[in-house]
Amino acid sequence: MASAFERFAALHVPGDPVVFYNVWDAGSAKAVAAAGAKAIATGSHPVASANGFPDGQVVPIDFALANATRIIDAVELPVTVDFEGGYAIEPEQVADNAVLLAATGAVGCNFEDQVIGGTGIHPLLLQCKRIEAMRKGAGDSFFINARTDMFLKAKPEEHDSAMADAAIERAIAFSDHGGSGFFVPRLADLKLVEKVCRASPIPVNAIAFPGAPSKKDWANAGIARISHGPFPHAALMKTLEQMAREAMA
Amino acid sequence: MTAKFDQFRRLHVPGNPLILFNAWDAGSAIAAGKAGAKAIATGSASVAAANGFGDGEEVPMVFALANAERIVGAVELPVTVDFEGGYAADPDQVAANCALLAATGAIGCNFEDQMVGGEGLWPVLGQCERLKAARQAVGEAFFINARTDIFLKAKPDAHDSVAADAAIERAIAYAEAGASGYFIPGLADLALVERITKASPIPVNAMWLPNGPTNSQWAGAGIARISHGPFPQMALMKTFEQMAREALA
Repeated sequence: MASAFERFAALHVPGDPVVFYNVWDAGSAKAVAAAGAKAIATGSHPVASANGFPDGQVVPIDFALANATRIIDAVELPVTVDFEGGYAIEPEQVADNAVLLAATGAVGCNFEDQVIGGTGIHPLLLQCKRIEAMRKGAGDSFFINARTDMFLKAKPEEHDSAMADAAIERAIAFSDHGGSGFFVPRLADLKLVEKVCRASPIPVNAIAFPGAPSKKDWANAGIARISHGPFPHAALMKTLEQMAREAMA
Repeated sequence: MTAKFDQFRRLHVPGNPLILFNAWDAGSAIAAGKAGAKAIATGSASVAAANGFGDGEEVPMVFALANAERIVGAVELPVTVDFEGGYAADPDQVAANCALLAATGAIGCNFEDQMVGGEGLWPVLGQCERLKAARQAVGEAFFINARTDIFLKAKPDAHDSVAADAAIERAIAYAEAGASGYFIPGLADLALVERITKASPIPVNAMWLPNGPTNSQWAGAGIARISHGPFPQMALMKTFEQMAREALA
């Protein structure tokens, strides 16, 4: 029987994307599992919002790891954890934190190249060293979804083919250094998405946001994984607010 | 801080009830606050469900207290915490735990008379000893909502005037032992509710029930506080499951 790692990796099919509806606690993970999800993905932003923290590694790592463990214990499905920038800059510390993350029972993680608490994104070589360290800490089978934040850091009208080429350079380098997947949040220009998907040696992940392309359009552009980031939690809290308003009327 | 205690106490008006739409984490508390809530109440069953635990003090107390502290830190409103049976049987230990609860910044709590992990209810005298211990630990201003589980432990068709009289006996004894309010979850027979609210020396809290009395019916029966217990989180997770189903389709 295939391991949870293998089953998780096999869900990533370019042109037939797996959809992740991001969760933040054990209860939301159970709800998504009951809806028929094939795997569970956490979102760092919803975990932060649900617990009164801002995003960007302000959630203490101990809390993030304990929360991941609770989610993993609550569902039978494979769980991938949004681990932001690995809670460190230096590769050695990233590797140590990756060991802790893998010990939760997670099958994979998101690992981003933005400088958390700083500006911009890590230089390519440093981020490659960080991915190598993540791989070393988390083990061979772990699905490292290497995320580039170049499109998040730029306005949508600045998303052009030069930027897509820079992203492709990162996809190839990240793959060479141990990345299992490549995540391009906020890129929604389907021509550029297709360009990135064709050139990336590893499956590409897009984020669904209000007004984003349809699942079919993402599929046609070669996307292998669609995640929802902070939007499910944000939408749900709007619903809760409305429910509360009605109850108190 | 003293103002917050007074503010919360004054919200309990028989016939014009305070409505509490129970929260379980900082995010849900913020949503209830945005909806115009006058105070935030947590629900132990919701906290448990959201974090993959069974109800009945299976949430570790350290987690419950840290979660309460995050909620208190996330909203300006007064926060009352569902503290179940105080995480102890022995009055001295109840006192020690209640001191920790008060240190979170909560302005009140629910404190129940069922034997958590055992069967049935504490004898009146035993529960009064526990209430006195809690009062001594939290100070005079703290709102102790003394809950009786007489009606939760019996089927609705066993809710009769004998049960109501037993509940009245407890209301009077709990008030003398230091309780600020009296909570009768599971009781929805309005004639019995009215009998209790007329005899109780302290404001009475009803729990909203599916297909139960309306806010104005509770008000008419003399209720001073309506809370929603586990229902908001349960309903919201049903909604979330449906949202996920649509996103995964």
